[in-house]
Amino acid sequence: MRCLVFVLSLLWLLSASAPLAQTTVQWWQFWTDPGIRPTIVEMVSEFEQQNPDIKVNLTDLTWASGHEKIVLAFASGTAPDVVELGSDWIAQFADAGRLADLTDHAGPQRPEYQGWSMATYEDRVYAKPWILGTRVLYFNRDLLTRAGFAEDFVPLSFQELDDAVTRIQALSGNVYGWGSNTPEKHRLYKKFLPFFWSARARLFSDDGRFCVVSSQKAVDALKFYKKLHDCCGYVADQRGLEDAFLDGKIGFILSGDWLLKRIELENRKMNFGTSLVPAPDPTFGTGRKFVPGFKTAVYPGRSFEGGEFLAVSATSRNRAAALKLIDFVTSPENQIRFCKANRSANPSSRTAQGDEYFQSHPQLQTFVMQLNLANHPPVDPNWVYMETEIEKAVEEVIFNNALPGETLRQLNKTLTGLLEK
Amino acid sequence: MRLTRSAGLSLTSPWILTFGLIWAFPVVYSLYIGFTDYRLLADSYRWIGWANYTELLGDPDFLAALKNTFIFVIGTIPVTTVLALGMALLVNRQFPGRSIFRSAFFLPSITSMVVVALIFTNLLSRGGYISFLASSVGLDPPAHGFLYDNSTALYAIMAMDVWMSVGYYMLIFLAGLKSIPDELYEAAEIAGASCGRTFFSVTLPLLRPVALFVIVINSIKSFQVFVEIFVMTKGKFDTATAVYFIYEQGLTTAFRIGYASAAAYVLFVIIGTFSIAQFLLIRRKASTW
Repeated sequence: MRCLVFVLSLLWLLSASAPLAQTTVQWWQFWTDPGIRPTIVEMVSEFEQQNPDIKVNLTDLTWASGHEKIVLAFASGTAPDVVELGSDWIAQFADAGRLADLTDHAGPQRPEYQGWSMATYEDRVYAKPWILGTRVLYFNRDLLTRAGFAEDFVPLSFQELDDAVTRIQALSGNVYGWGSNTPEKHRLYKKFLPFFWSARARLFSDDGRFCVVSSQKAVDALKFYKKLHDCCGYVADQRGLEDAFLDGKIGFILSGDWLLKRIELENRKMNFGTSLVPAPDPTFGTGRKFVPGFKTAVYPGRSFEGGEFLAVSATSRNRAAALKLIDFVTSPENQIRFCKANRSANPSSRTAQGDEYFQSHPQLQTFVMQLNLANHPPVDPNWVYMETEIEKAVEEVIFNNALPGETLRQLNKTLTGLLEK
Repeated sequence: MRLTRSAGLSLTSPWILTFGLIWAFPVVYSLYIGFTDYRLLADSYRWIGWANYTELLGDPDFLAALKNTFIFVIGTIPVTTVLALGMALLVNRQFPGRSIFRSAFFLPSITSMVVVALIFTNLLSRGGYISFLASSVGLDPPAHGFLYDNSTALYAIMAMDVWMSVGYYMLIFLAGLKSIPDELYEAAEIAGASCGRTFFSVTLPLLRPVALFVIVINSIKSFQVFVEIFVMTKGKFDTATAVYFIYEQGLTTAFRIGYASAAAYVLFVIIGTFSIAQFLLIRRKASTW
C-alpha cells in the first residue's frame, strides 16, 4: 500500500511539473509588410499567452505566389490549419472539398460581421470575413484646380468624370487625366467592373443561370472605360499607376485603401481627395431618355467588393484550436488594432466599423461608404476562369481596339460555357 | 570483375538515384500525366488519351504562344550568333584595353535575368531612356512605352535577350578561335588570301563545331524563354511564349497539370526536331565548306 501511494504521488508530481501538452496551429497569412507584420506577431503572441495549450506557427505568403502555394499545399495534403484566402478563391477551394464547413460556427456570429456572402458556397459557409476591401476614386486636387474646377468639385457622374479627366489631360506639363491599368492579371477586371456595375450592367441573370454580359449597358460601360483610356490614359501596372499618381502626374485613379497608407508613410505632400465611384448620368449610353429634374446621378455608382478571409483546412486535426485563433484575430478589438496599424479602412466586424477611428477620418469614410455600395463577383468555382476571360475581353477592346459589342457577345458565349460546366 | 562492377554501381548509386528520382521519373510521369485530365485540386484524374493534344492544336492561346516562341527563336538566334562571332573576332585581336572590352561584353550574361529585365522594363517604359533616344532620332516611340504595345513588346524583349546573351556566346566563339592553329593563318597569308577569304576558308569551317554548339544551345534556351516574359509583361501584349503558356496552364488559374504536361511534350518534340534539323543542316553544309 505504501508502495502504491508512493508511485501515485510520484506520477502526480511528474504530471504537475510536466509542460502542458500543446496543440500547434499552422497559420499561413499574407501580411508581410514591415508596417503590419509586427502587429500580426503581437496578436499571435497574445493569443498564445491566453491559450497556453496552443502554439501558432506563422508562415508568410506573398500575393505573387501565395495562391499557387496554397493550391499545391492542398493538393499535396500539407495544407495549414488556418489559411488566409482572398474572397475570389473560396469557391474554388470549397468546391474541391479542401475547406472545412464553418456554417455552424458562423451561425451565431453572422450579425456581427459583414461579408459572409463572399464566403458562402452552395448555402454553406467556408471562411470567416476578416478585412474587407473596395476601390474608390482618388483625385489630385491641385490638377483639378489647375483645370478650373471649384475647390469642392467631386465627379458624381460619368459625364463629369469624363469632363474632368479631359480637362486635366489638356493641361501642360506632361500630366494625364486617367490612370489606366495594363492587362495585369487579377487587376484589370477589378478596375473595369466598377464602371460595368455602375452602368447597371450585370454579369449573370438573377437566378445565376444565364450570362447577360453583352447587354447594351455593358457595351456602354466598356465604351466609356475605353474612352477614358484612349483620351487621357497613363498606362501602367497598379504599382506604376500609384507611383505616377503620387508624383502628381495623374488626375484620377481607382485604387484601394493601401494607397492611403503609401501617401501617409511616404510622406507625400500631395493635395488629394477620394470619392465614391461615379454613376452614369441619366443620358448615359444609347437608347435612354433624359429624365427631367435629374442633373447628376440618379443612383450611386458601384465598386468592387473583396476581402481577406480566414478558413480552416478540411484536413486540419486542430479544428477547435484553429477556430479559436480565427475568432481571436477577427475580434473587433483586434480588427481595430490591425486596421490602425495597416491603415485599412474596412474591418469586417460591425462593432469595429463603428469605432471612432473610422468615423473621424474623412478618407476612410469614403471607403466605408463605398463598401456599402459595392458588388462582389459570383461565388463560383469557375470564377477564376471567368475573370481571366473578362480581362481578355477588356484587353482586346482597350489595347487591340476590338469592337466592344462584338467582344462582349463573344465573352457572353465563353462565360455561358463556363457557367454550364 | 563482378566485385568491381558492384563497387562501381555502389559508388555511382547516389547519382543514379538522384537522376532517377529527380530527372527520369518526372520526365516519364509527365508524359503519362499528359494523357490524363489531372488538375491539382481535383480528387482524382482519368486517362483521356490524346484529348489534351487535340485540344492544344485548337487552342488559340497555345497557337499564339507557339507563334511568339518561333518569332523569338528565329529573331534572336541569327542576330545573337552573328553578333557573338563578330565580337569574338574583334576581341581576339591585339589592341589596348582588350580585356576591358571582353569583360564588358561578358558582364550582362552573368547578371541576374530578373535584374536585367527590371532595368530594361524601366528603360523601355514611357519616358524611359530608349523612348527618349527614339524620339531624339525622329522616331515615334509607342505612346505607353515599348512593353505596353502589341507591335513592339515582343521585339523589345528579344532585343534585351540578344544584349544579354551575346557575351556568353562570344566567349564560346573566342575559345573556338583560340583553338585554330596559327599555322593555318600563316599559310593563308603566304598564299596571299584576303581577310575575307581567310575568314570563309579557314576560320568559319574550323569554327563549325563551335557554331553548331552555339546555335543548338541558344535554340534550346530561346525555345524555353520564360523569365523575361514573366518579369516584363506577364505574357500580355502578345508576348506569351510556349513555356509561359505551360506555366499559366499548370501553375496558375486552372492548375491543369495534364494539359500543361501535354503542352510541354509538344514543345519537347519541337525542340528535338529543331535541334536534329540544325545538326543535319550544318553537317551537310560542312561538306561544302
